[in-house]
Amino acid sequence: MSDEAATSDGALAQLAGIWKPRGNEARVMAGTAIVLALFPFVFSRMPVVSGFLQGYQSLATLILVWGIFALGFDLLLGYTGLLSFGHAAFWGGAAYAAGVFSQYVSGSPILMVLAGTTFAVLLAWFLGFLSLRRGGIYFAILTLAFAQMLFYMSSSPLAFITGGENGFTGVETAELFGIFALESELPLFPLEMLLGTWLYVFVAAIALLCIALGYRILNSPYGMVFRAIRENEQRAEFVGLNVWRYRLMSFIISGFFAGVAGSLFVIHGTYVPLSSLYWTASGEVVIMTVLGGTGSLFGPLIGAGIYLYVENIVSGFDTIGPFWHLILGVVFVVTIWVFPRGIWGFVRDVRDRVTGGDD
Amino acid sequence: MALLETENLVKEFGGLVATDDVNLSIEEGERVSIIGPNGAGKSTLINLITRRLDPTSGDIRFKGESIVNRDPHEVVQMGVSKSFQTASIFSNLTVRENAEIAALASEHGSFGFKLLQHRDSLDEVHEVAADTLDAVGLLGQADRTASELPYGDKRRLEIGIALAAEPDLLLMDEPTAGMSPEETEATVDLVEEVKRELGLTFVLIEHDMEIVFSISDRIVVLNRGQIIAEGTPDEIRGNPAVQEAYLGGVEL
Repeated sequence: MSDEAATSDGALAQLAGIWKPRGNEARVMAGTAIVLALFPFVFSRMPVVSGFLQGYQSLATLILVWGIFALGFDLLLGYTGLLSFGHAAFWGGAAYAAGVFSQYVSGSPILMVLAGTTFAVLLAWFLGFLSLRRGGIYFAILTLAFAQMLFYMSSSPLAFITGGENGFTGVETAELFGIFALESELPLFPLEMLLGTWLYVFVAAIALLCIALGYRILNSPYGMVFRAIRENEQRAEFVGLNVWRYRLMSFIISGFFAGVAGSLFVIHGTYVPLSSLYWTASGEVVIMTVLGGTGSLFGPLIGAGIYLYVENIVSGFDTIGPFWHLILGVVFVVTIWVFPRGIWGFVRDVRDRVTGGDD
Repeated sequence: MALLETENLVKEFGGLVATDDVNLSIEEGERVSIIGPNGAGKSTLINLITRRLDPTSGDIRFKGESIVNRDPHEVVQMGVSKSFQTASIFSNLTVRENAEIAALASEHGSFGFKLLQHRDSLDEVHEVAADTLDAVGLLGQADRTASELPYGDKRRLEIGIALAAEPDLLLMDEPTAGMSPEETEATVDLVEEVKRELGLTFVLIEHDMEIVFSISDRIVVLNRGQIIAEGTPDEIRGNPAVQEAYLGGVEL
């Protein structure tokens, strides 16, 4: 065998080696897959429990979509320690990009996600480059300002593409792999009962990939560098880390997750509301992340679940429904008061106490 | 060729000249202490060398290459490491992670090591981190959170972080400030040991004259931003200008 072939074999082996699960990864992913598989059933169809929860299939899907968004947001907020108040730009930007892509190019769900995500990543690169010049509150305000600019742009100057106030209504989603209509239910009896629609399968598969990716990033050198920058920026600079570029990378990574989520949001709703670019969307993802627990992988997913549950289910209750904003506020304040590190932080504390701190 | 050189280095803050035409030359393997009264410009000089401050004029060369247009992290990459006056560590990370960060940063360049590679596979980094922690006597506490360490150990970790970057030149800003006599002694031993084993070049800023005179090959005395004397500990001890300016005429 020639040297060249040996090298390329080595490179291939290395590439394959990177994807090999290490440490806890296989176990965590298996656990996550089981939870994702059972979630829609327990939430919307399981006797007694679902009657109590009053959940429904479409909300289960939406929770995962926002969960991906919050997960990526936490990589920036919880690990690198940067509070962006403009992530609506990537969420909404990807939503419009995926929507427009579906109308003019292809309605393939996978290609829509690729298109939306690519747009979000490029946008995050550009806006991160401009916003990360300043830290702290200035960074938050700059990101907010850029996101509001995009909101304004799509509300009128670009209305001929985006549909302006009405949102983008021309979404044309095709079948997954050209075979499976996303809204239709799975064919076999137990699968249909368990998972419901193809849409959920599609979103859950991507959510699982995103969680695996997030978990790996946190366990890669980057994860450690992000935490080091949050802990002590000056020291990080003086061990030789290019702090600025790592921050930008962290911003782009969280833009990537926001892009995946924003694209799925369009596929889920077959519509892009203008409000997906509004600052409230940026605020919602902050609340979800903090509620669930910053600095954790699963906390933001739980935060997204609770937020959307109150917004969509509790708001429908005859008695307290009209006050759902107030309820959400109370839930948020009490959670942060009682568990400063969010719900997942509390779960982790309990687990540490039970298992004696063994991680 | 000197490892580190400054040429006519000047730093002004408004009207105040903090560094006044300093020509300093540090040879490889040398241990040099910079002393001087408060406000003499010692920390400014270190901050100029680490590129935290921009000089008003003059040049700084490391390994013959000018570094005045480099960023701080680039200077670290070139082999200049600094230990801080206070325990500047990553408090919520474990002791091991603290050392690993520094080892990673020096092994894998300033940016671009693999995003998707699991940390478990970075054997070299683990090795360097473990060796460094062993050298500073913290290997037994590697899995503790850094914030839990007593102050003296935090300072040792601080030095460990600087060492894990595998520098050619180590700048130490008052490594024994705030330490108990026992901790001070342990730190001096550590410096001696590191010098012996790694052959590092040191620049030390220190107030404790006993330490300065015992571990330096050469002493540079600063006053009002200028070098007023330099020489071996014996020469400095007998130098009348130094006694006048810095030691206040007290016999040593």
